Amino acid sequence: MTTHGGHEPVFCTIIPPHVLDKAAQSDDPVLAGPARRTLERDAFERTHRRLTTVLGAPAVALPESAAEGKALRTIYDAEHGQNLPGTLVRSEGSDPGPDATVNRAYAGLGATFDLYLKVYGRNSINGEGLPLDATVHYDEDYNNAFWNGEQMVFGDGDGEIFLDFTLPVDVIGHELTHGVTQYTANLTYFGQPGALNESMSDVFGSLIKQYSLGQTAAEADWLIGAGLLAPRVTGVALRSMKAPGTAYDDDVLGKDPQPATMDGYVRTGRDNGGVHLNSGIPNHAFYLAATALGGHAWEKAGQIWYDVLTGGELGAQAQFTDFATLTVAAARARYGDGGDELQAVLKAWEQVGVRTL
Amino acid sequence: MRIQVRRTGGFAGIERHAQVDTSGRPDAHEWHALAGQAVAAGLTTRPAGVPDGFGYEITVDGKTVYCADPRLTEEQRKLISRVLKEGA
Repeated sequence: MTTHGGHEPVFCTIIPPHVLDKAAQSDDPVLAGPARRTLERDAFERTHRRLTTVLGAPAVALPESAAEGKALRTIYDAEHGQNLPGTLVRSEGSDPGPDATVNRAYAGLGATFDLYLKVYGRNSINGEGLPLDATVHYDEDYNNAFWNGEQMVFGDGDGEIFLDFTLPVDVIGHELTHGVTQYTANLTYFGQPGALNESMSDVFGSLIKQYSLGQTAAEADWLIGAGLLAPRVTGVALRSMKAPGTAYDDDVLGKDPQPATMDGYVRTGRDNGGVHLNSGIPNHAFYLAATALGGHAWEKAGQIWYDVLTGGELGAQAQFTDFATLTVAAARARYGDGGDELQAVLKAWEQVGVRTL
Repeated sequence: MRIQVRRTGGFAGIERHAQVDTSGRPDAHEWHALAGQAVAAGLTTRPAGVPDGFGYEITVDGKTVYCADPRLTEEQRKLISRVLKEGA
């Protein structure tokens, strides 16, 4: 057994913590030593991940390709287990393999990287060429995808309600945008700042899909997770920015609970204070502003939202009103007092019932 | 023993809830051991979790503890998936 602090990921996660606790207290050094190191390692990983999500990620050494503005993608396969990141299955520049899920994740990371670089001049999620890591085939029948503070994680779905979470490109863009938010405004993932954090991921997730399809605001479906629901589910997607609350209405899933305006604002402790519910309100405001302006949504409405997310004035505890007020200022700063942009933004927030100061 | 699991959050934000009553079940002792370990490792307040990660409430005979993905113990993961799969 090594003592230089190397990772022992298999040992870490297969042995239950209470067994390790017991072993660590053992008089037998053969048992106690490795158990203590594993507990220390595990505690370190937990604390590190927690600090990363709370404080934002630390600076990392730049890969050589970073300066060139090229994506540096790595896809891992969890092989239906829970160990992260898993086995490396595709790295940057290598040819597509036989696994469509791996290839979709790789392409989706590329589409996301492209939008941020080509439209907003942002070199990866931290602006400094951060490598993009994703793990697919996480756990068994896993109905979710998440951002763990350092990488994306995608489940395969159970096939009954959800299909593979790499299917919609907006889901991939959504998860990566959680990374962008973490490195910029670092909106707290609870209550209104949490709903704004979710909304940023839906807005830019949808823009990544629109950009890759070359769609105008009028042509876009404004859906999040279209193609993710299994055929037997009655619904078109998980969320609709155009009409929050209408994405699904199903016997098993129930009805899409998202509000479109402040009249329907949901107060709850669950779901981190309703972050996936109340995000419908800023989502709809973005849709209203983007469709009022017409053309490609990423060009004007997207630019205004991006300016606010990355501009340094949006606080980690921002409320809807704070965010809305900053979009008004950003529209004015970029497009002037007399522009359609300012009027479109003001009107969008008014329509969803969010005050601007 | 009544074991309830509520899963909230996740990318979809769709809540799931199920419960298992172990009385009269031939595998009751197995459930009790699993539930005891899962609750012992639980938290008394909701952890912040990670963006889009699932949050869980485990209630055993009226006592509720919390945990969140991806930081579950093996017992918590096993109990949650069994209750959500087999429970009503």
